[in-house]
Amino acid sequence: MRGSIAAVTMTALLTMFSAGAQAHDESKYPDWSGQWRRPPGIANQFDTSKPPREGQKPPLTAEYQAIWEANLKDQAAGGQGTDPTYICIPDGMPRAMNVIFPMEIIVMPKTTYILIEYLSMLRRVYTDGRSFPEDFEPSFMGYSIGKWVDKDGDGRYDELEIETRLLKNPRAFDASGIPLHEDGKTVVKERIYQDKTDPNVLYDEITTIDSALAQPWVVTKKYVRELRPLIWFESICSESNQHVRIGKENYMVGADGLLMPAKKGQLPPDLRHFTESKGEATGATGEPKR
Amino acid sequence: MLDRNAVTFAAMVLALGATISDAWVTRALAWDDGLYPDLKGQWRVVGGPMRFDPGKPWGPGQEAPLTTEYQAIFEKNLKAQAAGGQGTTPTYTCLSPGMPRVTNGYGQIEFVVTPGTTHILVQHIHDNRRIFTDGRDWSAAMEPSFLGYSIGKWLDTDGVGRYDTLEVETRHFKGPRAFDSSGIPLHEDNQTIVKERIYLDKDDRDVLRNEVTVIDNALTRPWTVLKRYRREPDARPFWREVNCAENNNHVEIGKENYMLSADGLLMPTRKDQAPPDLRYFAQSKP
Repeated sequence: MRGSIAAVTMTALLTMFSAGAQAHDESKYPDWSGQWRRPPGIANQFDTSKPPREGQKPPLTAEYQAIWEANLKDQAAGGQGTDPTYICIPDGMPRAMNVIFPMEIIVMPKTTYILIEYLSMLRRVYTDGRSFPEDFEPSFMGYSIGKWVDKDGDGRYDELEIETRLLKNPRAFDASGIPLHEDGKTVVKERIYQDKTDPNVLYDEITTIDSALAQPWVVTKKYVRELRPLIWFESICSESNQHVRIGKENYMVGADGLLMPAKKGQLPPDLRHFTESKGEATGATGEPKR
Repeated sequence: MLDRNAVTFAAMVLALGATISDAWVTRALAWDDGLYPDLKGQWRVVGGPMRFDPGKPWGPGQEAPLTTEYQAIFEKNLKAQAAGGQGTTPTYTCLSPGMPRVTNGYGQIEFVVTPGTTHILVQHIHDNRRIFTDGRDWSAAMEPSFLGYSIGKWLDTDGVGRYDTLEVETRHFKGPRAFDSSGIPLHEDNQTIVKERIYLDKDDRDVLRNEVTVIDNALTRPWTVLKRYRREPDARPFWREVNCAENNNHVEIGKENYMLSADGLLMPTRKDQAPPDLRYFAQSKP
């Protein structure tokens, strides 16, 4: 009897143990642990091999080239153009891989997590063999499916191939407002791999296919592993954001907490609802309207 | 704005990087996943996220053990909220709820357990936590944050050779923070200490428990509550991207909170609220 109880207990313990035990043979995967950053001196433009803004020469269609140029003029006048992130929405893909703030990559058997310390941007790259869902809610970061590849056949994975779809707008390639098509049908393909001679260098070859582009745009990003003591800073855009969006207009809040125009000659916001609620409103002079 | 943030970040790294000695790069180490409890999947809080103590009613019903001074602050906040304001609840501007409020479980939750760090990923505003379990000690030079700095320790409380409990202590906070949406305040000195014991229910492995104890100068004694989270049965759950700023109708100008109406116009949040001062528009007119 005691033997039976012991056997049942052992079986129960083993069952409980095996339910959670999914041994993760980490030696099969490359070591991408730690903190990854843009190399020193590299700014936030999408193609880091070219100068920012006009120097990017993105392969835009004529229609979207015109949209981008109008955006550059608006930005020069103090506006935000087609860069939507001033209201603290995520960069989305592929812009998130500009890695404005440091990045952590957590490799797990079925999912690789990419955490970027700006707006807590999180990518889940599913490597469990799934296909893209038929019906899925679009998002700024999109839906990413990955595949580990053993390129040199040494029995160890060395490259992560990712395809990302199901993206939503508004997004831009970088702060210069290089636009993506409003149809949201972007497809982003990536090859992430380590430098063969320097394990502290990581590359991401990004191919963007988008209806705003005349051809796929291929860029290769480089990230370097932080070797100093790691510091993860909490980056909360809205904590110190001085942009205020009212309707379709972007205003600024001055150091004194007062609303101010972002562009020369910008009209103040319409305060008719204050008129309705109080019977008087502050005019453009700051004095009550009589 | 982004470039300015990047410059600020770089300056902070340079300022602090040389002084932090306990957080070196953690190299990947092979580890036995079977040593840890199975926390995989998607978790949702049981009882809703609106109350810090899910066992008690919202607001005054929480019976928070506040000092007299902070009880008065809390009551004043409740009046402000009743009048249409936000009181001492700061998250309407899309700030992180911070600790301990993120344990209320506002969004879908995932635990990613690695040997040196347990990540708690929450689909909400800025709620993702890193709990360092690599044996490090507190650093005096740590930058305060809403989520704080968390050090954890895995325990095998029943001695079966497998970890079953994650003990966490979190310090180094900044404000403003509140316990929940009713605005129960934490002390402005931000000396909060949050201790947690996270473990699976022994009878139901799809229920996770978190005993949260908060020590704070706004409280007359440590406040301990028990939270429960339930694992979603879907093996491939849907993770909803949540972006507070995307559809936030609150507009903060100076110290005033306004709202945007459906027609995109600014409107007051409370009766007789004064409109914003527009003196700079007068100066800028051509």
